[in-house]
Amino acid sequence: MANTVSRRVFGAGALATGLIGKTASSFAQGEPKRGGTLVATWGGGEPQACYVPAGGGSSPTFSSSKLFERLGRRSMEGAFEGELAEAWKPAADFKAYAIKIRKGVKFHDGKDMTVDDVIYSIDEIWKKYAAAAAMTDYVGGESPDSDTVIVKFSKPVPEFFFSSLLCGGVNYIVPKHVYAGSDPVTNAANNAPIATGPWKFKEWVRGSHFEYVKNDAYWRPGFPYMDRMIIRYVRDPAGRAAAFEAGDIHIGVFNPVAPPDIKRLTGTGKFVATPKGYEESVWSTSFECNTRNPIFAKREVRQAMFHAVDRSLIARTIYYGYARPGTSPIFSPNKEFYTADTYKTEFDPKKAAALLDTAGYPKKPDGKRFTVNLLAAGWFTENGKIGAIVKQGLEDVGIVVNLTVPDRPSSIKRIYTDYDFDLAISNQANPSEPVPATTQYYTSDGIKKGVPFRNASGFHTDEVDVLVEKIKVETDATKRKTLVVEFQKITTREASNLPLVEIESITVASIKVQNHSNDPNYLASTWYDIWLAS
Amino acid sequence: MERFAIVGRFARNRGALVGALLILVVALAALLAPLFFPIDPLRIVGAPELWPGEDPAFPLGTDSLGRDMLAMIVHGARATLLIGLFASAVATVIGVSVGATAGYFGGWIDEGLMRAAELFQTIPNLIFVLTIVVILGSTLSNIVIAIGIVSWTSIARMTRAEFLALRDREFVQACRSMGMGDLKIIVAEILPNALPPVIVLSSLVVAGAILFESAVSFLGLGDPNVASWGRLVGDGRQLIRSSWYISAIPGVAIMITVLCLNLIGDGLNDALNPKLRDR
Repeated sequence: MANTVSRRVFGAGALATGLIGKTASSFAQGEPKRGGTLVATWGGGEPQACYVPAGGGSSPTFSSSKLFERLGRRSMEGAFEGELAEAWKPAADFKAYAIKIRKGVKFHDGKDMTVDDVIYSIDEIWKKYAAAAAMTDYVGGESPDSDTVIVKFSKPVPEFFFSSLLCGGVNYIVPKHVYAGSDPVTNAANNAPIATGPWKFKEWVRGSHFEYVKNDAYWRPGFPYMDRMIIRYVRDPAGRAAAFEAGDIHIGVFNPVAPPDIKRLTGTGKFVATPKGYEESVWSTSFECNTRNPIFAKREVRQAMFHAVDRSLIARTIYYGYARPGTSPIFSPNKEFYTADTYKTEFDPKKAAALLDTAGYPKKPDGKRFTVNLLAAGWFTENGKIGAIVKQGLEDVGIVVNLTVPDRPSSIKRIYTDYDFDLAISNQANPSEPVPATTQYYTSDGIKKGVPFRNASGFHTDEVDVLVEKIKVETDATKRKTLVVEFQKITTREASNLPLVEIESITVASIKVQNHSNDPNYLASTWYDIWLAS
Repeated sequence: MERFAIVGRFARNRGALVGALLILVVALAALLAPLFFPIDPLRIVGAPELWPGEDPAFPLGTDSLGRDMLAMIVHGARATLLIGLFASAVATVIGVSVGATAGYFGGWIDEGLMRAAELFQTIPNLIFVLTIVVILGSTLSNIVIAIGIVSWTSIARMTRAEFLALRDREFVQACRSMGMGDLKIIVAEILPNALPPVIVLSSLVVAGAILFESAVSFLGLGDPNVASWGRLVGDGRQLIRSSWYISAIPGVAIMITVLCLNLIGDGLNDALNPKLRDR
């Protein structure tokens, strides 16, 4: 199943990349059709606001990324390309970067985008909200002339890190004339954004959809092809599947329908399903041990937890094959930094039992070793089912498991604020650049009580802290990779928090939709080149 | 003699008889579950999504993870009946205490308690149950408490009405003139006379409680350590187009059980309500 999907998609991706910025003559479907309305959805609910300066999760990222743009983007091949910037280059000491800003870009209200907007966005939005954890060493920005911005840091900054910063998350260029002097978090423009992107905000019908229209003054000449985009929210996956079949929705990103329905929809020949477009935002289901509990302060016990769980069973039955066992905190699609050469905690109940014996927790006369509270975060239904499999695996090695599956707010509070768990099943979505997204789960400065999706296990060693500081400032790409490989070896051996599975996120689209899934974080890209064949 | 008459009147209602027999079967299944299926019903024992009859080892098939449907249905009967009975007991205890106090004493006590009951009645029941479960945590006992807390109001109102009608009757006044205490009058004299309609109502609360528990589990807020029919329906929802039996089998079990409890309620009404004696 997965194979046939990838093959089909590989073709679509190759075709699409040939099109970017060039003529459409090489495209099999012929000339892009202009006009029409695209209806899109995603596998989640309506956002809290159309644009949330701090990110606010995938939902506002999805809705805002069609309106706003970043300075750069990453291609499917991994190359960094300019978007609102034309180019950027580091100073000799890597403590400053010069960004050349694109000329002739206008905001939706007709005002020109200038270096002031760029500096304002970096100073007031990125540094304070959108990328606060990544910009701790940021000193300030200045503009020597009207199309250059110099970004300064107190320590050397690797080029890959900087490029990732320009292309990542919700690091948008926002209009200074709209946001200056206000609190960006509560600015009314967040619900009717003014930005530079290919789509202009028209309306938000709460509980139903966003309506965006074509930006006629878009800086990429001739784009977008379509006149209108509707982002529609459907609460239930079964409802989305029905809407696809009725032709009411053309494309859905991030698992819009349940896995069994993917097979059914693609079986009709009217839809394609693709795992492409998630390379810069790979989701995983993580399993972490609370090292504040003296039992889990022992490394052998933590390793035993992973040896006791059958990860391939989880991938097969719960995700219907749309997942693969995780082996490292850096996920396997990460071409820059992933290594397969890590400490392995493969499924082996006997080894788990032996490790528990040596750690000083032999079976008592009743066949039990100890009791743990297992918390499976209830924001994905899959997590609760994984909880059942983990529980069974642990019970087989003599551990009594009390499983709870709280709802989203309670799960966040219990894992990341109260640390009220022994073992937790949660999720991570990480970009290729490991600092800080991945590393903050393992460093002592990642232990931030009350901040979700940080180091909740409480694990920290000087070894890892020092190593991450080195990764942060190493500007030689080869040496940096060696350090990240070292990081993966240590964290897999320590087993405080490791992925059970890497989830293969799926986009489902009607075969009419052209030029989709052509960005490594497609959910968060502008979709300027999408069109609908008749 | 009177006892037999009650049983006879109950049995005259054929529906009630069938209901009682089926509930007896469910209760037996619940009681004997550990004998037939000694291992944890939530264990994965076979291939996922085996249809009923596909593998003789699993007469009702397996669910999306490969757990034995029959084992989960039989063990689920325990959770379902236990929750139904205990939730109904909680609701009855609260309802009768509040209703009896309000009806017997009247005045500002009545006013206060009935306004409190109205307060509970104005909150949508299911949302109230979900809120309580989310706050207290998803364990079996918390679900029982939550359902009890939302279900007591109708029992309280019924009890109050009965007490209002009975409190000034001659036999009560006779007790008062003999110097009997309020508590004794309430418990020993009025309550036995007020009880028959309350029992009927309590049997219906059992059915309601089962539906509440199913809804809570369906929404994924049930106790994940316990096999429950409602959660099976919810888990099977994703597969409704391909393996509909996962939702349908526990759904039918819930339907039959609730229907039977309602039939029993009808039968009890016939048996206990003297006005219908010669219908």
